[in-house]
Amino acid sequence: MNDTEINLALRSLHQKEALSFYTAIAPWLVGFCLFTAGPLLISLGASFTDWDLLTNPRWIGLENYRNLATDPYFAQSIKVTLAYTAAYVPLDLVGGLLLALLVRPRLKGIGIFRTIFYLPTVFSGVAFVVVWLWMLNPNGGLINLALGWFGIEGPRWLLDPKYALWSLILMSFWGWGRSMALYLGGMQSIPGELYEAAAMDGAGSFRQFFAVTLPLLSPTIFFNLVLSMIATFQSFTSAFVATNGGPLDSTLFLVLYIYRQAFEFFNMGYATALAWVLFAIILILTLLLLRSQRFWVFYLGERSE
Amino acid sequence: MKTLYRFLLVTILLSLVLSACTTTAPSTPAASESTVVIRAGTGDGGDGLTPHQQIIQNFEDQNPNVIVQLEPVSGRDYYARLLTQLAAKAAPDIMQIGDDAVPSFVTKNAFIPLDTYLKDSNFDASIYLPGLLEPGKIDGKQYLLPKDYSPLAVYYNKKLFDAASVPYPVDGWTWEDLLATAQKLTLKDPSGNVTQWGIQLPAAWTTGFEYWVAAAGGSLISKDGKNFAGAMDSPEVARAVQFYADLYNKYQVAPQPADMNAFGGGNSEFANGKAAMMLFGRWPQGGFKTNPNISLGVVAPPKDKVRANILFWGGFGIATSSKEADTAFKYLSYVSGEPGAQVWKDWALPAVKSVADSSGLSKDPIEGVWIGELNYLMPRAYTFTPYWNETADPALRRVLESVILDPNADVKGLLAQAAKDAQAAMDKLGE
Amino acid sequence: MKEYSTPILQPRGWRRSLRIVLLVAVSGLFLAPALWMISSSLKPDYEIFATPPTLWPINPRWQNYAEALTSLPFGRFAVNTLIIALSTIIGHLLSCSIVAYGFARLKGPGKGFFFVLMLSTLMLPYPVTMVPLFIIFSKLGLINSFVPLILPAFFGNAFYIFLLRQSFKQIPLDLEDAARMDGAGTFQVLLNIILPLSRPALATVAIFTFQAAWNDFLGPLVFLHNQSLYTLQLGLSLFRGAYNVQWAYLMAASLVVTLPVIAIFFIAQKSFIEGVGFTGTKI
Repeated sequence: MNDTEINLALRSLHQKEALSFYTAIAPWLVGFCLFTAGPLLISLGASFTDWDLLTNPRWIGLENYRNLATDPYFAQSIKVTLAYTAAYVPLDLVGGLLLALLVRPRLKGIGIFRTIFYLPTVFSGVAFVVVWLWMLNPNGGLINLALGWFGIEGPRWLLDPKYALWSLILMSFWGWGRSMALYLGGMQSIPGELYEAAAMDGAGSFRQFFAVTLPLLSPTIFFNLVLSMIATFQSFTSAFVATNGGPLDSTLFLVLYIYRQAFEFFNMGYATALAWVLFAIILILTLLLLRSQRFWVFYLGERSE
Repeated sequence: MKTLYRFLLVTILLSLVLSACTTTAPSTPAASESTVVIRAGTGDGGDGLTPHQQIIQNFEDQNPNVIVQLEPVSGRDYYARLLTQLAAKAAPDIMQIGDDAVPSFVTKNAFIPLDTYLKDSNFDASIYLPGLLEPGKIDGKQYLLPKDYSPLAVYYNKKLFDAASVPYPVDGWTWEDLLATAQKLTLKDPSGNVTQWGIQLPAAWTTGFEYWVAAAGGSLISKDGKNFAGAMDSPEVARAVQFYADLYNKYQVAPQPADMNAFGGGNSEFANGKAAMMLFGRWPQGGFKTNPNISLGVVAPPKDKVRANILFWGGFGIATSSKEADTAFKYLSYVSGEPGAQVWKDWALPAVKSVADSSGLSKDPIEGVWIGELNYLMPRAYTFTPYWNETADPALRRVLESVILDPNADVKGLLAQAAKDAQAAMDKLGE
Repeated sequence: MKEYSTPILQPRGWRRSLRIVLLVAVSGLFLAPALWMISSSLKPDYEIFATPPTLWPINPRWQNYAEALTSLPFGRFAVNTLIIALSTIIGHLLSCSIVAYGFARLKGPGKGFFFVLMLSTLMLPYPVTMVPLFIIFSKLGLINSFVPLILPAFFGNAFYIFLLRQSFKQIPLDLEDAARMDGAGTFQVLLNIILPLSRPALATVAIFTFQAAWNDFLGPLVFLHNQSLYTLQLGLSLFRGAYNVQWAYLMAASLVVTLPVIAIFFIAQKSFIEGVGFTGTKI
C-alpha cells in the first residue's frame, strides 16, 4: 500500500474505533442527557428565581447568590459542614485502616468479625439514628451510664452546643466498615513477594507496614479519601433526625439547611442556589485532591492509558 | 459490532418492558367508566392511619362508585413530598395540613375555597366546637375543614400527688400555684440528687411557648405582622421567658431536657413516673392512660395575667389541581363531618360538637378539660404573618435554648437580640 | 485476575492473643447499638425510656415482632422492594459493563472529557436534581410507579461504571488481543473474556445495588404515592406519626428489614472483597 492508502485505512480504523466507543458508552450518555443534564439545567435556572413550589418561579437574577453571601445561617452551615468533614474523614481513614489490619489475616472465623464491622454501613433508616439518640441521652443513656462506671460524668452530648457536633462524629465510627472493606480489597493486590523481600532484609512487621503496606495502599487511601469527603459533605440524616440542626445551630449541616429552605421556608430558588454552591465546593476540593495525587500517591505497575 | 447493537437494543427493550410491567402491576385500580378515584394525602402514621382507613372503608361502602386512595407519609417528609407534588401539579385531591401551613398554602392558591360547596350542599358549619373553623379560614373564606386539634393542658400523676399528700391542681390556678405545687413535688435524696421532678416542660418547643406569652398578656409580633420590636422584647414576653427559665434553672423543678426536640421521645420523666406534672398537648395521652406508672389526671394550664390557651390543628382541604373536586368534597364533608367524627372520637378529640356531647367526652373528667379549653384560645403567631417560620421561629428557638442551657442567661438581652434578628430576616424578605 | 496472597506473617503467641482481645473488644463496641436496638424492640414503649435504663426488658414482649410486621403490609412492601432491587441489579449489570468496557479499552475523541464528566456526577448533591427530576417524570406521566426508580439503572451508574472500569483494566491485554486476532468483535470479547474474569467485581456491583435499593428512602418517598407501591423503608417510616412514634415496633421492624442485606453480605463477602480490589489501580 502507498502512503495515502495507509492513511485512509488508518482513518477508517479510527472512525470504526470511535463508533465502537460511542456505542459502548451510549447507555450512560443517553441517561446523562435524560436524567442528569435536563434536571441540572432546570435547577440551575431555578437558582435564579424566587420559587415557592406552589406558584410559578419568578426571575430574580443573581439575588439568591447575593443573599447567600450575607446569610449568617449559610455561613454557619459551611462552618459546621467543614468542621464535621475535617474531623470525620481522617478518623474514617485511620479507623478503617486499623480495622482492616485487625481482620486481615485469614484466621478461622475472621469472616464473622469482618461482617460485624461492615454491617453497620448497611443499616439505614431512622431507627439506627434514634438508637444512638437514646444511647447519648445524658440522663439515662448507655454511654453516660458506662462512663459513670469509670467515675466520669458524661457531658450533655446532643444537648450541649459544644458537644453536639462531636456526638455526631462519635456516631460516625459505625461507618468505618466501608473503608475497612476497601482497604482489605486494596491490600489484596499487594504482592506477597515484597513482604518476603522486606522480611529478608530484617524488617519487623512494624517496619513492613510503613515500608510496604502503607505506600502501596496509597491509591486505596486516596480513593477512600475522595469518596469519604464527597459523602460527608452531603450528610443529612443524622442531623435531621437527631438534632434538627441544633442546639443553637451547632449541627446545621448544609444539606439540612438546603432542605429547610426548600420545604420548610418555601424558598426553593434559594435552596437550589445553595445546592449549586455546595456542588461547586465539592468539585473544587475534589480537583485539588486529584492534583495532589502526584505528591503522595504511589501506583504499582502503571499500565498505559 | 452487530452483536453490540443487538445487545443494546435488547437492553433498551428489556428496560421498557420491565418498567411497563411494574407500572400496571400493583398500582392504582383502573378507574372504569363510573368509578372515581380520589387521592388523599396525610402526614399521619403509625396507628393514626387506622381511623383514616376505617373512615375510607365506611365511605366507600356508602358510595360504591368511589375509591379513596390514602397516600400517607409520616412526619416532616410529608411536606417535602407534598410540595414536590404541588410543584409538578400532581398533588392529591384531598390534602391534610397543619394549621401553621395554612396561610402559606392558601395565599399561594393550593386550595380551593369551599364556600360555594358548603352552601350548595347545605353543609352546616356550625356543627363544630368553638374555634375549630378559624384555622382553616383565610380572609373570611373557608378553605379547610377540621380533622383534629389539641390545645395545651397539664397532665398530672395522681399517684405522686397522693404519695406527697399534695392536693390536685384545680382549674383556674395561677403560675404561682404551679410553682408552689411543683416545688412540693420535687423530691431529693440525702445526697442532694433529685429523685422526682415537679413538672416536665417541653424544652425549646417554640410554638408551644406561645401559651406562656399569651398567658402573660404579651404578643410576639405586632398586630400588623410587620414588627417585632415592642412585641418580642416586651416586658410581658420577658416575664414569660424568665418564669419558664426559672422553672428549669432557678427553682429547679423541671428536669433539664434530654432532647431539645419535644417530640423526639427522649424526654420521658413524666412517662416514667419521675415527674409529677407535664405541660403538653393531647398527643401522648393514649400512652399515658395505659402506662402503669401513671394514674392520670388532666387540668387546664394555669393563668397569669390572662387565662389563655393556644390551639394546634390539622385539617383537610381540596387541591386546586384536583380534577374531581365534586367527589372530593363529598369525601371531605364525610371525613370532617359527623360520620368521620364518630370514628375519630376513639382516637382523638372529635371536632363535631354533637359527637363530643353524645359520646360523653364533653363531660369526661379528662377529655372535657381539653374541650373546655377551646373557650380560651388566643390567635397563634403564624396568623399574623406567613413568614413566621423563617423569621421569628429560629430567633425564638435560640432564646429558649439559651435560657435553658445557661442559668445566667440575660433574658432581656437575648430577647432584644432575637427581635433584631427576626426583624432583619423580615426586612430582607420584603426587599 | 492475579491473586496475591495476604501477608505471610501469621500472628503467633502474644500477637495472636492481642488480636483476639482487640477483635472481641471492638466487636463489642460495634454490636452495642444493635444489641440496644434488640433490647428496646422487646420492651413496651414506656420502658424504653426508663431511667435508670433496663439493659434487658423486664418482661420481653416477643409479640412486638409479630405485631409490628403485621400492623402494616410488610409482605407487600418486601415484594415491591425486591422487584425494584432485582430490576436495578439487572439494569446495572447490563449497562455498566458495556459502558465500563468502553472507558476501559475503547478509544474515541472526547473520552477523557466524558470520563471526568461522569465522575463529577458523583458529586452532585441530590437536592440539586430531585425536584426537577420529579417534574420531568410527572410530565411523562410516570410518577406513582416503579419506572423512575428502575429506568435510570439501565442507563448506567457512575460509581459502578468506575468500579468495573478499574476492574476491567486489570485484565491482561494479551488475552483480548489474542481473541481479536481470532476475529472476535468488541462485544464478543466483552462477553466471552472480560465478564467471566470479572465475576468478583460484578458480584460487588450486584451487592451494592441490592443494598442501595433495599435502603433507598428518598427515591420511593418522592416517586411512590400509592401505599400499595411502598417499599420497606417507606413502610418503616410510617411507624413515626406526626406526634407519636411506635418505638418498639420501629426497632423490631427495622432489624428484621436489615436481615436480608446482612445475609447477602455474609455469604458473598469473599467475592465482595476481591471485587473492591480495584482500588489499587490508577484512576
